[in-house]
Amino acid sequence: MGAKKTMTLNLTEAEMRVLEELSARKDLSKTALLRQALRMYQVVDARLEKGDKLFFEDEQTKEKAEVMML
Amino acid sequence: MTMTISRVYLFNVGRGEPEEAELWDEITEQQLADWEGEWVPELFKAMQRLRRAGIERRHWPQSRHWNWRKKTETFQEMLAFPGFSIVCDGLTQGMMIVDTTMKRCRIDHQRDRHLVYVEFVENAPWNRKELFDPPRYRGVGSILIRTAIALSEDLEFHGRIGLHSLPQANGFYANTCGMTDLGTDPDYEGLRYFEMTPEQARAFNTKGDHTT
Repeated sequence: MGAKKTMTLNLTEAEMRVLEELSARKDLSKTALLRQALRMYQVVDARLEKGDKLFFEDEQTKEKAEVMML
Repeated sequence: MTMTISRVYLFNVGRGEPEEAELWDEITEQQLADWEGEWVPELFKAMQRLRRAGIERRHWPQSRHWNWRKKTETFQEMLAFPGFSIVCDGLTQGMMIVDTTMKRCRIDHQRDRHLVYVEFVENAPWNRKELFDPPRYRGVGSILIRTAIALSEDLEFHGRIGLHSLPQANGFYANTCGMTDLGTDPDYEGLRYFEMTPEQARAFNTKGDHTT
């Protein structure tokens, strides 16, 4: 796989706590979780740029809520 | 982006010995030119032979409609969908595009975990034993599946991979790769869904054979 570059990331305490909780829950290191988040953000952003919409659907009620992205 | 090229070995069936090849972590214009100029004409000739031999259409290669140029353009520059290719003897011998983001595991004990999903994988027509007897090279499919496993490990998905198999490849994924067959998927053109656990990935990696 491609060579990797290193960067320093400054996070607030709350952001770091969320990152730690998520990485533990997903069985990923903090780096792996952030790389995964970047890949997903790019996919979602590309689809929104194309004019697609992103929805969450309640499995029981089938009710849909549009997700607004920045 | 800088392309990484790794050395791999295919089995040259005609010569009866391994031959050095390259694994590229990209699908470039060279691959697409090989697909258009070499794969597609060979595939048409092979289908003509099948038709003249009276082989039913349902036994023809199901990937015959795949357009690698369109697929590559769709996923270009997307981190979530990396492409890979194998080059040997100056020609592209196989290509694969995977999805690292949008799919999740289905086997109960790893349900909803991340995995590398093999979106498209194809061998050059002359390497497919159902089209060319004997095929030119063996090992393309195994190397590409091992590449998906290696990517899964790099992303900390522990070797978990998944895919929907075209009917002609069911035996390869079940028997050679040792993946779990979760049956036909009504939401995916009735194709069978196969998934690999970390244990199965380790077993396949240590097996070391190159059957397809």
